Amino acid sequence: MTEFWALSRRAVRETLRTPEQLFPTVFIPVFFLVVNVGQVARIFPAGNTGFLEGQNYAAFQLPVSLLLAASFGAAAQFLVEEIEGGYFDKLRASPASRTSIILGRLSAEWVKSAGLSAIIVGVALPFGISVASGPGGFLLLVVLTASWAMVFSGFVQLIALKTRSAAATQSGSLVFFPLLFLTPNFVPRQLLTRPMEVAATFNPVTYIMEAMRSLVLESANWARVGRGFAVVAAAGVVMVWLNVRSIRAYD
Amino acid sequence: MAWAVEATGLVKRYTGRDGTVEAVRGVDLAVAEGEVFGFLGPNGAGKSTTVRMLTTLTTITAGSARVAGHDVAAEPDAVRRAIGVALQEAGLDPRQTGRELLTLQGQLFGIASSEAARRARELLELVDLVEAADRRIKGYSGGMKRRLDLASALVHEPEVLFLDEPTTGLDPASRLTVWDEVRRINARGTTVFLTTQYLEEADALCNRLAIIDRGEIVSQGTPAELKADLRQRKSLAAEPSLDDVFLDATGRTREAVAGEVQEVG
Repeated sequence: MTEFWALSRRAVRETLRTPEQLFPTVFIPVFFLVVNVGQVARIFPAGNTGFLEGQNYAAFQLPVSLLLAASFGAAAQFLVEEIEGGYFDKLRASPASRTSIILGRLSAEWVKSAGLSAIIVGVALPFGISVASGPGGFLLLVVLTASWAMVFSGFVQLIALKTRSAAATQSGSLVFFPLLFLTPNFVPRQLLTRPMEVAATFNPVTYIMEAMRSLVLESANWARVGRGFAVVAAAGVVMVWLNVRSIRAYD
Repeated sequence: MAWAVEATGLVKRYTGRDGTVEAVRGVDLAVAEGEVFGFLGPNGAGKSTTVRMLTTLTTITAGSARVAGHDVAAEPDAVRRAIGVALQEAGLDPRQTGRELLTLQGQLFGIASSEAARRARELLELVDLVEAADRRIKGYSGGMKRRLDLASALVHEPEVLFLDEPTTGLDPASRLTVWDEVRRINARGTTVFLTTQYLEEADALCNRLAIIDRGEIVSQGTPAELKADLRQRKSLAAEPSLDDVFLDATGRTREAVAGEVQEVG
């Protein structure tokens, strides 16, 4: 565990020393929140839209923005720099466990995303959004967002390990973007067209989004929240396994 | 005799779209404990690939290797605990300070944080980086980076130190500093496995050396033995230099080798 904490602290320091990469992580999700709500809110008035549970449409859109923020991880880019600069070989030549090498870096994504999602929710509160599940729900919302950010970054990191190229990693990460939009991001799943509903049902991100919505809009539907956490946990196990396998086979 | 490094029939093949390339073709090596062993060869001869296999960074296609008594393929973690590695490109994290990097390196080898911090202070003094210790590495000069890289390979007091072209690209003063460090490290009992393109460096530092060309060892022995052997075989009037030994072993002429092997001026 010593090595995990040491690598984790280093990755957090790295994040704090590159504040320029934090700006788009806050700005773009808030921008999309404003634009999406501005375009669609009048179609779904707070008073007579059942799925809003008495809140305004911005509350329904908040999880979309949180998931968007979670997808702006920098771990893979830092990893490519480390591969190109030779420091990754230094880490591999140490007896530190391969899991610590993977999770040490990704833990900074968790910390960063937890902080930024708390800020985004904080920015949203004055606009009439409240977290219906209370302070505990707010905490779960932050933990769920941060955990997904870590898992998502881990999958992008796989591209970095495979290609060892900054350009390929950047464009490869776009492959994951459709996952964010094949979801019930504008309306609940049951209101989607049939093909979109099928796509959303098979998309794991849907369940994370629904868990987040449950925490924001309801006093928390634990089955829905549990499904969201289960999806993140399962994806996390797969992500760590693939990364460790990749680092072990790295030549 | 106890061997710090032993390799038998070491082979590395890379398979890509353009077919298979055999970078190392059956290398046999035996490095005694406590010696400075030089591994020479022109660019692309297989030096770095051999070092990467011995340091667990690259898988071994065929053959076997033992480092500090541990099988490289079967016990990679035991090998990693016993070795220090400074590769061709100084592998450093530019966003950390020198002190942070050395402390972290110690922790990666299981050293408690207070002890790792103490060891970092000691090494910063050793490589004369105390003043720059709390500055970020991205602002260091090439020579400072090399010295820090060398220090990071020594944090856990390794039994075997692998240095892959540690002086390439350094100015003469920095190069001599690295030579002094290598001598000092070796004097404390650490075996040093050094790859270099500089023949004078090998002559000055190494007890024994091997020359690799096109993935195969073409000559091996002490510098004196190799020179004496060449002198006898070619019936030379004067003692040949290590350059002559190198050219003879690799079948190159001075013209062909220009740009591949350089002498320190």
